[in-house]
Amino acid sequence: MGAVTDDEVIRKRLLIDGDGAGDDRRINVLLKGFVKWCNTPSSPEEGFTHYQRMLGTLAQCEFSMGKTLMVYDMNLREMENYETIYTNIEQNITSAHEKIAECKKEIQRAKRIRKNRQEYDALAKVIQQHPDRHETLKQLEALDKELQHLSHIKENVDAKLELRKKQFHVLLSTIQELQQTLEDDEKSDDDNDQGSPGTSGE
Amino acid sequence: MGPVELLHMSVYSQSFSPCGRFLAAGNGYGEIGLFSLSAALSPDSSPLSYRPVLTFTAHAGPVFCLSSSDLHLFSCGNGEVSAWSWSHLLKKNVKPVWTKRPDYKPGLQIPEINALMLRSRENVLVLGGGDNNLHLLDLETGAFTGVLAGHQDYIHCVCEREREGQILSGSEDGTVRIWDDRKSQSAHCIEVHKYEMCARPQLGRWISCLATDNDWMLCGGGPSLALWHLRSLSPTSVFPVNGCTRHAAFYQDMVLAVGDSPLVSHCMLGGDVKAQIPTSSPSLNCFQINDRSSEHRVLTVGGSSDHIDVFTNLSYRAFSLSF
Repeated sequence: MGAVTDDEVIRKRLLIDGDGAGDDRRINVLLKGFVKWCNTPSSPEEGFTHYQRMLGTLAQCEFSMGKTLMVYDMNLREMENYETIYTNIEQNITSAHEKIAECKKEIQRAKRIRKNRQEYDALAKVIQQHPDRHETLKQLEALDKELQHLSHIKENVDAKLELRKKQFHVLLSTIQELQQTLEDDEKSDDDNDQGSPGTSGE
Repeated sequence: MGPVELLHMSVYSQSFSPCGRFLAAGNGYGEIGLFSLSAALSPDSSPLSYRPVLTFTAHAGPVFCLSSSDLHLFSCGNGEVSAWSWSHLLKKNVKPVWTKRPDYKPGLQIPEINALMLRSRENVLVLGGGDNNLHLLDLETGAFTGVLAGHQDYIHCVCEREREGQILSGSEDGTVRIWDDRKSQSAHCIEVHKYEMCARPQLGRWISCLATDNDWMLCGGGPSLALWHLRSLSPTSVFPVNGCTRHAAFYQDMVLAVGDSPLVSHCMLGGDVKAQIPTSSPSLNCFQINDRSSEHRVLTVGGSSDHIDVFTNLSYRAFSLSF
């Protein structure tokens, strides 16, 4: 309290009411009027009017003081208001930051999904170019059946060929045997013929 | 670097540092330039922060490929591969940690190395180059462990299919070969130019870019850029990009492709081109997306000029770094 120097008091008073055209002047006038009222021996009406005037000036001073006090209160409340708005804005900023981070993650996820979808589409395009599996299976079955049928026929033909071969073999061997027998008979006939003229010639 | 050299410079390869704050770019003169991304992306950047922090001559020939592991930067040029330590480079110490040359058949020319890939799980470097073979360099022992032979012409690009442990290589002879870890012969050989959907016989049959996403593969070059399904080895969609694609990659749900036009093409997997963003070079060679750092997530594109365009938002070019 004692550290407040005169300089500061003077500076503050000059700042608030430097030109002496306001409350300061009123207080000075009141003070001077009071001193004059106390010292001048005038009539009771004059004294009364002077007294009334002083009361009026005092009321004006009180009014001005009340006004300043209210302004001070108002400023304090405005400050509080601004503080709340400030904290509100700060919270909004942090929540917006969080939302941005989440949205970035979402975007990454969406990009990955899009990439997967496109890979799927690309593969699907290639797969579409190849023929349907059912059709190929059916074609395979038909080919199998044909193959079986043809091999069946081949077996039959083979069996027939074998049979004919055997029959011809039998035929040929019988012919050979007959030929052999005929030759043998001829030879034995010849021998007999040769033997009998020999013995009849003696 | 005089103005004539700058005019004729091409940026062939790029790689981000493990911390994600620096970009190394290799050009046609054998130099590697280190750019500071944090300085270039900061709000108070000046034209000086778009110049390299450090430029040094790495090889006698052009640096066609760069790759970064957690500690080292690998670069290829003039038939040899060198490893540089990132921490040394950031302290401006430009001595390579080691330089190795694969065993080439004796001949007059030194085959160049066109593609370099780091397989982080097995700690193996795969080199593909002018001698039609893939050389595998084991980083732990430092020796060349194997040679994958099979291509008939030089190799343009290499990539890895991590889940199945396979290596894919694309070459000038028009084939993409899939090599399995356990055999030294190619498991599959896809002759891209034989598929009518993507063949462009008027341009040729070479494959200059490859990218995989485990089940899907992008390849292009002479034939159009197409998306292939690897399990069935069939092309699923063709991207209508003019010109030959030199580098392509999968990014989120899109495909990014650069080639011999000044545009970066953004395509959807279904085969339609969503956007084509112009850049400052007349033709583009390579691009990289900085996945290693979350605050400097940029796309950098380099081509036949001394500028490297930086995209902070994929839809437009923010600024250019220059050598």
